[in-house]
Amino acid sequence: MLNILKPFSTWIIIAAIAAALPLIFESSFALTLLSKMGVLIIFTVAYNMLLGQGGMLSFGHAIYFGLAGYASIHILNGIGEETLPYFPTVLFPLIGAIVGLFFGSIVGYVSTRRAGTAFAMISLGFCEMVTAMTLIFVIFFNGEDGIQTDRMVGPEPFGVSFGPQIEVYYLILFWVLLTVALMYIITKTPFGRMSNAVRDNPERAAFIGYSVRRVRWQAFALSSMFAGAAGSLHAINYEHIGFESVSVVQSGAVLFMAFIGGAGHFLGPIIGAIGLTYLDSTLADITEAWLLYLGLTFSGIVMFAPGGLAGLIVMHGPIARTNKNLLFSLIKPYLLAIGSVITGLLGLIGIIEMLYFRSLISKGEGEIIIFWTEFNANGILSWLIFIGLILLGIFLSKRTFPVAKESWDNAISVVKTEISNE
Amino acid sequence: MSNSLKLTNVSKSFGEAKIIKNLNLDIKKNERHAIIGPNGAGKSTLFHLISGHYKLTSGKITLNGDVINNLEPHQINRKGLARSFQVTNIFPKMSVYENIRCGILWSLDFKYSIIKLVNKNKELNKKTNVILQEVNLQHCAHLPAGLLSYADQRALEIGITIAGGADTLMLDEPTAGMSNSETERAVNLIKQISENRTLVVVEHDMGVVFDLADRISVLVYGEIIATDTPNNIRKNKAVQAAYLGTEEH
Amino acid sequence: MDVILFTVFNGLLYGMLLFMLSSGLTLIFGMMGVLNFAHASFFMLGAYFAYQISKYIGFVPALFIAPLIVAVCGAMVEKYALRRVHKFGHVAELLFTFGLFYIIEELVQMVWGKVPVGYHVPEFLDFTLFSMSGMGYQAYAMFTLLVSIAIFFALFSVLTKTRAGLIIQAALTHPEIVSSLGHNVPRVFMAVFGLGCALAGLAGVLAGNTLGTEPSMALSLGPIVFVVIVVGGLGSLKGALVASILIGVLQTTAISLDLSINSLIETLGFAVDLESLWHILIDLTISQVAPILPYLLLVVMLIVRPRGLFGNRDV
Repeated sequence: MLNILKPFSTWIIIAAIAAALPLIFESSFALTLLSKMGVLIIFTVAYNMLLGQGGMLSFGHAIYFGLAGYASIHILNGIGEETLPYFPTVLFPLIGAIVGLFFGSIVGYVSTRRAGTAFAMISLGFCEMVTAMTLIFVIFFNGEDGIQTDRMVGPEPFGVSFGPQIEVYYLILFWVLLTVALMYIITKTPFGRMSNAVRDNPERAAFIGYSVRRVRWQAFALSSMFAGAAGSLHAINYEHIGFESVSVVQSGAVLFMAFIGGAGHFLGPIIGAIGLTYLDSTLADITEAWLLYLGLTFSGIVMFAPGGLAGLIVMHGPIARTNKNLLFSLIKPYLLAIGSVITGLLGLIGIIEMLYFRSLISKGEGEIIIFWTEFNANGILSWLIFIGLILLGIFLSKRTFPVAKESWDNAISVVKTEISNE
Repeated sequence: MSNSLKLTNVSKSFGEAKIIKNLNLDIKKNERHAIIGPNGAGKSTLFHLISGHYKLTSGKITLNGDVINNLEPHQINRKGLARSFQVTNIFPKMSVYENIRCGILWSLDFKYSIIKLVNKNKELNKKTNVILQEVNLQHCAHLPAGLLSYADQRALEIGITIAGGADTLMLDEPTAGMSNSETERAVNLIKQISENRTLVVVEHDMGVVFDLADRISVLVYGEIIATDTPNNIRKNKAVQAAYLGTEEH
Repeated sequence: MDVILFTVFNGLLYGMLLFMLSSGLTLIFGMMGVLNFAHASFFMLGAYFAYQISKYIGFVPALFIAPLIVAVCGAMVEKYALRRVHKFGHVAELLFTFGLFYIIEELVQMVWGKVPVGYHVPEFLDFTLFSMSGMGYQAYAMFTLLVSIAIFFALFSVLTKTRAGLIIQAALTHPEIVSSLGHNVPRVFMAVFGLGCALAGLAGVLAGNTLGTEPSMALSLGPIVFVVIVVGGLGSLKGALVASILIGVLQTTAISLDLSINSLIETLGFAVDLESLWHILIDLTISQVAPILPYLLLVVMLIVRPRGLFGNRDV
């Protein structure tokens, strides 16, 4: 019995931890946050079927997420008004999946002729078109207000009404586990492998018998399908859907999560979805400049670590497997490099916060609290401190970064010779 | 012997420039056929035409009797023609093993399946190992292909090319940029894999060409000026004048 | 008739504005392969710089100084950031400019706040030049049109008369020609990127005071500019011009048309009585659906002619 479960042990452990989380974090804020994370994990992993697995950068994937959400809300309302027959709430993501698959197949068919920048541009065009439609076809989308619903409709099987947030959390958790497992399995199928192959080298993929366009189209449609499932859950979770859920802003958010987390690895988008959702709900209250930090982080990742956070971790995989001591020897140079970056960042954050403070919050009063310390935004001294920190950070980075990089290069070359000697 | 690949009155123009002019070429089944010619003769263009990368301006190409010149590259590949490229053309981020395995997928009728698992299929993985052995890359099967040495990458490319079980192979400069020992290894590999297959090869290294080919076609400015056995090609005056004389080997 | 003339005038005005943006974008894309998502952000910067400068030393100096500063900003972005991303490929470059788009929007909010700033039409141009059957033609609009036409001819002559221009033009259709520039490639890229940004900045200077200078202006105009260069054909300047004017006229005309399918049916002498949902669909006026028209054009273009009007490569 236990032997059968063994290959699934990781999954079971993760599922158990996720199921226990509401018992640890009891506040309603935590529960709302966890639910939101779940929805966005599905959406981000689905999005990464395009970006990471298939090599297609889309600025319009919220279309399928949002339209599925609208459809779900209308059907919920229809059931509530008894104009539609009852459909179990548990299975609503299926409706979303069908909606996503339907629109994804159509849009995918016309836009997957090419990948790369042209594809990205077209996806943006589609996204703008759908966003404009939500404001025009008021009968379906209800303009800027969006639509409300009540998720407590129909009978309550086993006493589950999906009224309390905790029940919705477990509904979302169930679908997260199911869809993420499915999407993981898909990466192990012939289609999943060819999706990678087309991403790496479309010309070669054609000469091993595969239609590049067909592979991309299928990836697009499947990815839209899972995005649709996420959209349904989003609608049930908030009992509301608005035009922003189909917009470029939502599409950009999922891109940020997938890319910062690491598009090249299956776990990357999950890390990104959890991390950014958490920061979004906590930092947005603390600082006005949250979006600026997000943009800077994203651009920084594009410039210096295109594999995202997961990429940074994965690139140490070979070292960890062959020689653990080598990995430990990296810790010191890494800590020094990270330390110097943090020094510079502290300065940068201080400057940004003071600038925001001066322009948006108060022109007269100068007291601002940054890092639990009071600074005077109008006083020359606080500016000097932060500028000094930035300069110090740059100065230290110039020394510590080459050392860190050299240590890594050393380690990886040792690993390479060890592998080829085997 | 029957024809494997037959080109009839094939022409290709890019705008005003006529790169391939009324070209006729018969490649027999299971022969090793080399195409040589000076730079800019149109050898790569010819390859691209046969493999469906470019569309013909006029003419006809048949593979085992079927017209293929109006098909897409992937359709031509499914008819039994596989090719390698002048520039190394592999899937650099995927492992060597995965590279080969992808090359096999279509021939085992996996199509675009999203329900079968590649790791669970015995036949697929057995065949992958056989081909890995054939191109001698078992030792680095699980390294990302992009990390291999140049010669190993070329070997891998040949592996991908033969993986699908095509009976006609086209290799575009398979030994370009290799050292002498690497070239020797590559030639042996090509000889071995082209047994019971039709091989069309473009190559600059005359040693390789005369060692490998059963017949040689000489392409000069988009026209074939001679097709014959290596010995006769050596003696052919027109070939010496047009090609061998200017580029001594 | 006069109404039509007035609409066409406005369409032309909007179209030439789009051209100033799309020409820079398509030049950068054609030559460097970089699709600059933040292109409209440089348009926004132009407007804000012009606002700030004209507040202190007036509109005329702003007209010259603001695009120059934008050009320097663009060149710096190319030199210190894009060049580093270049080795990761064009998609990485696009991703970087997407991040830049957010950064610029947030920086603008940080400096100038979230509400529109009072960037107004300069007083000496703020009068009605002439009227035709009740339609007043504003002097500033006429001035904008003249400047954009002058820019068009200047750009045209730089590209056809100078050596650098000829190489740039050749590189649009044959990107490999870029390498004939030898060791100058990075500098030429920086210059082209700067020039493209300067054009966008100038458009911002000219249009910021009539369209409104606010942090969301980049997001509202950016996607339209993308549509223009896809419809016109990627890398084609001629295409960018035709598509700009086409979309300019299309949008301004559509906004002024209060026709709907229903009103058309009624003028033909029929009356329709449909269920509520369909009624709303046929009651939609053309002016209401105007915002989707450019994107609809994009979709139709992709299906019918994927290379765009004058493009020589498929999208």
